[in-house]
Amino acid sequence: MNLDYSLLVPEFLLALAGVVVLLADTFRGELKSGRQLLPWLTVFGAALYGATGAAAGSMTSEFAGIFAVDAFTAFFRVLFAVTLVVVVVGSHEYVSKNIRHQGEFYTMLLFATVGASFMAGARELLTAYVGIELLSFSLYVAVSLAKSDSRSGEAGLKYVLLGGLASATLLYGLSLVYGAGGSTSYVEIAKNLEHVEGLRMPLVLGLVMVIAGVGFKASAVPFHMWTPDAYEGAPLPVTAILSATSKAAAFALILRLFSGPFLPVIGEWRTTIAILSLSTMVVGNLIALQQTNIKRLLAYSSIAQVGYMLMAVVTMSDVSASALLLHMGGYLVTNLAVFMGVIAFYNHSNTEEISGLHGLAETNPFLAMVLAAGLLSLSGMPLLAGFTTKFILFQAAASGGYLWLVTLAVIMSTISLFYYLKVIRQMYVVLPDGSQLPYATEPSVRQERWSMSPSSTLVVSVLFLGIVVVGLYVAPLAVAADNAARALFKA
Amino acid sequence: MISLTHYLVLSGVLFALGFYGVLVRRSAILILIAVELMLAAVSINFVAFASYLDAKLFTGVIFAIFVITIAAAEVGLALGIVLRIYRERSTANVDEASTLKW
Amino acid sequence: MPLPAQLDRAIVTGSLTAGAIGLPYILVVSVLGIMGRINGAEVVWWLLAGLILVGAIGSVTSNNVVHAALSLVVAAMGIAGMFVLLASEFLALVQVLVYGGGVAILLLFALMMTNASDDPIVVDGSQKPFGFGVALVMGVVLVSAMVGASWNATITTVVSFRDIGTRLYRDYGVPFEVASLVLLVALIGAIAIARRDTEESDAA
Repeated sequence: MNLDYSLLVPEFLLALAGVVVLLADTFRGELKSGRQLLPWLTVFGAALYGATGAAAGSMTSEFAGIFAVDAFTAFFRVLFAVTLVVVVVGSHEYVSKNIRHQGEFYTMLLFATVGASFMAGARELLTAYVGIELLSFSLYVAVSLAKSDSRSGEAGLKYVLLGGLASATLLYGLSLVYGAGGSTSYVEIAKNLEHVEGLRMPLVLGLVMVIAGVGFKASAVPFHMWTPDAYEGAPLPVTAILSATSKAAAFALILRLFSGPFLPVIGEWRTTIAILSLSTMVVGNLIALQQTNIKRLLAYSSIAQVGYMLMAVVTMSDVSASALLLHMGGYLVTNLAVFMGVIAFYNHSNTEEISGLHGLAETNPFLAMVLAAGLLSLSGMPLLAGFTTKFILFQAAASGGYLWLVTLAVIMSTISLFYYLKVIRQMYVVLPDGSQLPYATEPSVRQERWSMSPSSTLVVSVLFLGIVVVGLYVAPLAVAADNAARALFKA
Repeated sequence: MISLTHYLVLSGVLFALGFYGVLVRRSAILILIAVELMLAAVSINFVAFASYLDAKLFTGVIFAIFVITIAAAEVGLALGIVLRIYRERSTANVDEASTLKW
Repeated sequence: MPLPAQLDRAIVTGSLTAGAIGLPYILVVSVLGIMGRINGAEVVWWLLAGLILVGAIGSVTSNNVVHAALSLVVAAMGIAGMFVLLASEFLALVQVLVYGGGVAILLLFALMMTNASDDPIVVDGSQKPFGFGVALVMGVVLVSAMVGASWNATITTVVSFRDIGTRLYRDYGVPFEVASLVLLVALIGAIAIARRDTEESDAA
């Protein structure tokens, strides 16, 4: 058994950073540092984690048969590290104003990333389960830490209760898989599931329950009930993490499970996931049409994105896994750009209603441009990241034989353009004083221009560049996704 | 002879009972109790599988230890959130779930 | 000292129901055991199963939160007994300590801090029949799937504490550490969330 603990150095560093942040917060009086130090400590820890994780990208090794260190794990380690750095840099002003217990807050974000990392690397059910719980617990806490916002506690309670239900369902499913597969190791399960005479019913039941459990974590319809409320009630940076890290980790786990241990019984789960994908994209897009709160809108839009991504799981192969990873990357960059833009806007205006964005093109043209680019990229406009990666994803699903699902996804993408344009209309067509363009070409009151803080400007600019660069030159990300997908199927 | 099926049926019934509790209860603490019941059903499953099918490695027993530990931690965390909500709303009733739409 | 009427009623109806259902059940099982139709382990199994089911039903139907919490403890203790039958004494020990000692106390503390009296509160939602139907279907599906399966089961052997230690701390050392992080998160989280805001504002 390979007990080489150096394989887990990135995760250890990250957990250590969490503890250091906690202590730095507790002893800030003695250290004479104040709270300004905390976000930078967090960023430092995340950067160390990302760097060490990327450095291990070329190796293929396994810790004690429970944790794989390969290109797939490295891909997600970098993804999680980038997400954490971006979120913390982009929102530290927001956090200092709107969050109680900042030290604990940053610690939760760090620990959540540790959990996500274990979900991505796990080669064994118990490790994956513990990773899920670490991620979920940290997010339960982070969701409830908003200062003087009663929605926060309510969202936290709802999230923790439904999360408990989902965990119990997932666990029951895992126990049945353990019974049918005779082991918790992915490799052993894959071997044993090739001949499961007489255990078909428990196995199918187990698979359905596992799908329900991970579907909850990825917020697939009909297990999405918590998503809009948790997104709305959570502080904005946590909403960003929920839509980025948490979702990416859920898909990492789904890819590991359905490309390995569950692949021999693909006939038993393929249709279920196809139905899940279908209902997720339809419901997500249709309900998003009616939202007036920007967080709720983004919640439903992210649900719709999950529907598209699940298509690649239906046609599980190295091609579609690579397409899914690529789209995950493109989605994360785009989504973070939108969230960081919204946070910068909230810092200025304290509103998260869509109607509050009116006239942004007049008062802060740069932010309006970034938000518009992000939203258009989410809907899949050409030249932007969202189009390129989504195109490759749809192509992979179509060549996998699910043309009807892809057709539906294209229709739904078109519908999604409508609600993204609604936001863009507020920024570009409605003027700061609330009048609309055709009627008042000469605005009566010119509103003051405002600019974002330096750190927000930096983050938003970088993400904007990311959207454009990935949209025009996707090759490097595609190569990384390809390597990761190949490592996934080799393992 | 007590067979594996005995335990599995018992845990299936317990799981369904817990699920019923989660569906119909409206108080956060009572929902939590029902979730605990479901998790207890899970640990019966794991231990039963471990002793009947996996006696050499008994991974299920280890799994059950983790399940019990994490279930207890979940109760603690969820009750912390319940307390906060109770304090904010100052209601004499933890039955606040009625103000949430599920 | 006269007892509160409600507690009185709860005790009387509770013991009557327990007697009406429990005594015949215990009688039947022990008679079957004495007649030799089922062996000793099976007698214990059926008694424990009855105990667990009574606890479980109580914990999801009782309208009194304290009774529900205590019923959960009853079910948990029955499950600990099951673990002994499954030859996992260590787990039985953990179950008794964690549920009997930890979870029950936590639940009762939370009840005390939120709702001091043990008055029955409005607990069940209006979708009771719907919930019942869904749960019934789920139960039937689960049970029939389990009965229909043919497991390749062999005889149980006792798992020694020593082996559990080896597996837990060597093979699963890393998940164990991650679980300790989970506990840390729960600990910090519960404190940070439940603490009053006023202490925070002047500490900054």
